Amino acid sequence: MTLRGVGTVAAVECSKLAAQFKPRAALAACAAGSFAFAAALRLQTTVPEDTLFGRSAKESGFALSLVVLGFAALWVVPALTSIVAGDLFAAEDRYGTWTMMLARSRARSEVFAGKALVAFGYSALAIAVLAASSIAAGLLIIGPAPLVNLSGVALTPSQALARTAFAWVATLPAALALTAIALLLSIVTRSSAAGIGVPVVGALTMQLCALVDGPQALRTALITTAFDGWHGLLAEPRYYGPLVRGVLASVAYLVVSVGIGYRTLQRRDIAG
Amino acid sequence: MPANRRHRSRHGAALAIAAAGALAACGCGASPITSDRIERAVESTFANLVQLQVSRLKITPLASLNLDVIAACRRRAGGAEAGAGEWTCTVRWLGPDRRPLRDTFDVVVTTDACYTAAAEGDQLGGPTLKASDGGEVRNLLYVFEGCFDPT
Repeated sequence: MTLRGVGTVAAVECSKLAAQFKPRAALAACAAGSFAFAAALRLQTTVPEDTLFGRSAKESGFALSLVVLGFAALWVVPALTSIVAGDLFAAEDRYGTWTMMLARSRARSEVFAGKALVAFGYSALAIAVLAASSIAAGLLIIGPAPLVNLSGVALTPSQALARTAFAWVATLPAALALTAIALLLSIVTRSSAAGIGVPVVGALTMQLCALVDGPQALRTALITTAFDGWHGLLAEPRYYGPLVRGVLASVAYLVVSVGIGYRTLQRRDIAG
Repeated sequence: MPANRRHRSRHGAALAIAAAGALAACGCGASPITSDRIERAVESTFANLVQLQVSRLKITPLASLNLDVIAACRRRAGGAEAGAGEWTCTVRWLGPDRRPLRDTFDVVVTTDACYTAAAEGDQLGGPTLKASDGGEVRNLLYVFEGCFDPT
């Protein structure tokens, strides 16, 4: 496997993605969704009280971004991360293009690494767009007022900006772990529907399991618990225990999924 | 049994033991949401919000150390004093002129170690208050939320 080979595969996959409607539409929705939410919030009299920072979403733009983060972690991120990853390998099965692809001078490991790189890159890009648009929507439509954090301390706009950005970064490990699971399913099932649908349903099922006050070990093992790790960044004093556990769980999911996916692809009989 | 199968079954057993050990090390079974953790969280958040509220209402500031906030929380359902669900917290604190005050909150604690505390009755005022300059501000103590470290 060479870096040049991986880069070539990644470049081809990027150009294929750029030509597709679905990934572009998802990124556009990420960019526009927060502005629509902020505008609707500005016009209505009620606030999303049942979400963390929902009560102050009309007072501080940073709170609005954190409301979007809380909602996105539940519903949006599982779909965003699997929309590309769940289809990348299965599409080759659907179109019957594996033999053509492997007949070129690219090893399977390069094909795997290139595709995985694009899937992880797309997930990171989607989170970055969502984070940037929600912060921008909050600041432009609601305003940069100080943020009252989860310990009742008012953070200055610069402190609030740094912590909000860090909170978004903290969701990346779990998002990349979900991407790895979607990649694995895309390889194993050879079906885009399973590659995209199963991670979304799985994440929602884990969210439901997390509502049960079960053993801490079980909660840590749920990948969706890692999406709560940012809470500690908005407390005084800050705490990192849940975040560290979430990152470790995410890394475990990622390594196992990528490992099994790689071995499965290496061993597959593709000779047509 | 062939050697490679025996080797695999040993590997499986070792993995199972390691997994069981990891679960035990993580404190399997005990809820990390305890009355002590909820009380500490409510006390510090309440004290911080009182200071913030005073500054927003533009009235004479209180010295933070003089609030002496003490919270006592118990599960509404009774039983074990741990776990997510509905709690009642009684907060005793020293208000202006060191007058002892007592407020009760209905506290809903979720499994992610976050809580929402809603004041019982109207001792702390309604959802909004009037500042000394006539402006209306949200009553930060009427309903407040927070999170605490469950690890």
